[in-house]
Amino acid sequence: MNNVKKDNELVIDIQHLTKDYISGTEKISVLKDINLEVRRGEMMAIMGPSGSGKSTLLFILGIFQPPSGGVYNVAGIDVLKLSRDAQAIFRREKMGFVFQSCDLLENSTVYENLELPLIYTGVKRRERPDKIMEALQRVNLEHRVRQPSNRLSGGERQRVSIARALVNEPEFILADEPTGQLDQANSERVMDYFVKITEEARVAMVIVTHDAATAARCSRRSLLSEGMLKTY
Amino acid sequence: MANKTLQTLRAAGFLPPDRGTRLLRFGDLLRISFREVLRKRRRYIGVMASIALGTAGFITIVTMGRDLKANFNNDLDLLGGATIIAAHFDPQMYDRQEWFRNQTVAAIETIPGVRDVTKSRLRSGATTTYQEKVYGFNLSGVDNNYWSLFSFSPQHGRLFNATDIAEGRKVAVLGQDLAKTIFGSPEAAIGQILNMDNNLYQVVGIIGGVRAADKSLMAFLPITTAQSRIPNISEVSSLYIRCNTWDDVASVAAALPEVIKANQTDKGLRVQVGWEPLKQVQRMFWWVSLFIYASIGATLVLGGFGIWNIMMAAVSARTREIGLKKAMGAEDSDILWQFLFEALTVTFTSAFLGVMMGRVGIEYMSRMLGSSPPEGLFMLCLAAGLAFAAVLGIGAGLYPSIRASRMQVVDAMRYE
Repeated sequence: MNNVKKDNELVIDIQHLTKDYISGTEKISVLKDINLEVRRGEMMAIMGPSGSGKSTLLFILGIFQPPSGGVYNVAGIDVLKLSRDAQAIFRREKMGFVFQSCDLLENSTVYENLELPLIYTGVKRRERPDKIMEALQRVNLEHRVRQPSNRLSGGERQRVSIARALVNEPEFILADEPTGQLDQANSERVMDYFVKITEEARVAMVIVTHDAATAARCSRRSLLSEGMLKTY
Repeated sequence: MANKTLQTLRAAGFLPPDRGTRLLRFGDLLRISFREVLRKRRRYIGVMASIALGTAGFITIVTMGRDLKANFNNDLDLLGGATIIAAHFDPQMYDRQEWFRNQTVAAIETIPGVRDVTKSRLRSGATTTYQEKVYGFNLSGVDNNYWSLFSFSPQHGRLFNATDIAEGRKVAVLGQDLAKTIFGSPEAAIGQILNMDNNLYQVVGIIGGVRAADKSLMAFLPITTAQSRIPNISEVSSLYIRCNTWDDVASVAAALPEVIKANQTDKGLRVQVGWEPLKQVQRMFWWVSLFIYASIGATLVLGGFGIWNIMMAAVSARTREIGLKKAMGAEDSDILWQFLFEALTVTFTSAFLGVMMGRVGIEYMSRMLGSSPPEGLFMLCLAAGLAFAAVLGIGAGLYPSIRASRMQVVDAMRYE
């Protein structure tokens, strides 16, 4: 378990967040009055059954979609009020994502996958190899740098996805079922990386999972049920 | 407003300062787009071939158009003589038969659009005796332009050349039927001696060509020879002027009376133009041109629609990729430029291939036509081809690119 420093900076601050969907004349409330704080160096698991709104919450945290109500501050800034482009810049400068489906660019090498966030951030070409190798070293995949992504195993793909989330040295990482498609050994290895990253790089991490073993490795755990978030 | 927000966030230290690397990102997006097209080249082969062929056709036809037209004109003239203008002095109207002076002929040769001018002298009812038989025929003294102007070629032997004319040699060319009547066959006439007015002429050739049938009962002598040796032969009362193309006929026909009047009397002058065959030839060429340019246009438009279709399919097929890139921080403009660059990469690569194929076509065609390609026009066509590629790429790629760039991240990420 992580040793979380209580005086660490508050990174994610969500208050009274709601999300409703309209289906015909019916209003479906997926998220009801969500309050959440995540600090630097903290690794938080959000659990819940399928359809409980975990991914919706994660997409709101990633500013992929707006909530219906509530406040979402990152380091004191209301990110929901940023323009579309400013949100994009915010995402590439501050956030890292690990997706459930280990989304990698097909027909591209590991290097090209990791280079893309650096391109969007505007990192100079000569600085990129060092950053890419450093991120790959963290997940022990530096020897696969020139490998096409479609020739990687499931575990390797997930580690590349983690390395890509880390390459821009984000302040917080969002992970959607990061171990969902991995066997137990690979799941444990991935969680080892996450613990290491959270402690070493002092990032804030939110992991959405339905796997109890994965959640057990996090410093805090919350359960999302019937639209309400309960910490336990 | 957005920029102001960004500046405030940067000033507050929430976001790092702007690295000023927009140009670098632009270059990277261009590189990625090129790589994407290269890796998925099979998908683009059809439209690239279509655009390349259209561009090659456009460049070849436009660059070689004038030479092609002249050649086409030459072939059509064999049938109708649409570009030949006849000028003569009417013998019936005045007491004295007028004729064309040398300076008049020289002035006509300088009229823009005139390719050849030929003059001839005529003696009707000439006779010759061969093996105690007398044969009558029409005799014409002609210069060496006469053959090319009417597209005659030797069926046997040769026709007169410049030396025969300059030296006034005693040589004759016969029509096919005349040679057959006198000597039994056209082949047998070559090398035979023809006796006319106590002068002996060696038969050097038999006239051939599509229009030779009109002259099959005539005999020809060099105009200089006829002038000095044939009694009662006419002055040069008829001229034939051949224009470069049928587009020149009207202007040359209009200029002729003025040029003649400036050099000599024009009393009894008649200028005859075959307006009807000319119109028919022009109409036919217009339809052929329309068909060619419509084919080229259709090929290019099909290529454009092909790109549009492929780009639209690519935007759908790559929805998750777009979502992923946006999740990694790509701005709308980054996605727009990437897809637009991909469309432009396809059109420019196709245009470049088309230019190379067009150049090969031009070289081949110029060799066939025996002309040299106009380099200035080729460069102009090259520029037009590349400009068209840009228009086609933007036209076909813009809408799919905008659609891709405006995609919502959440919709793209949830797309299956």
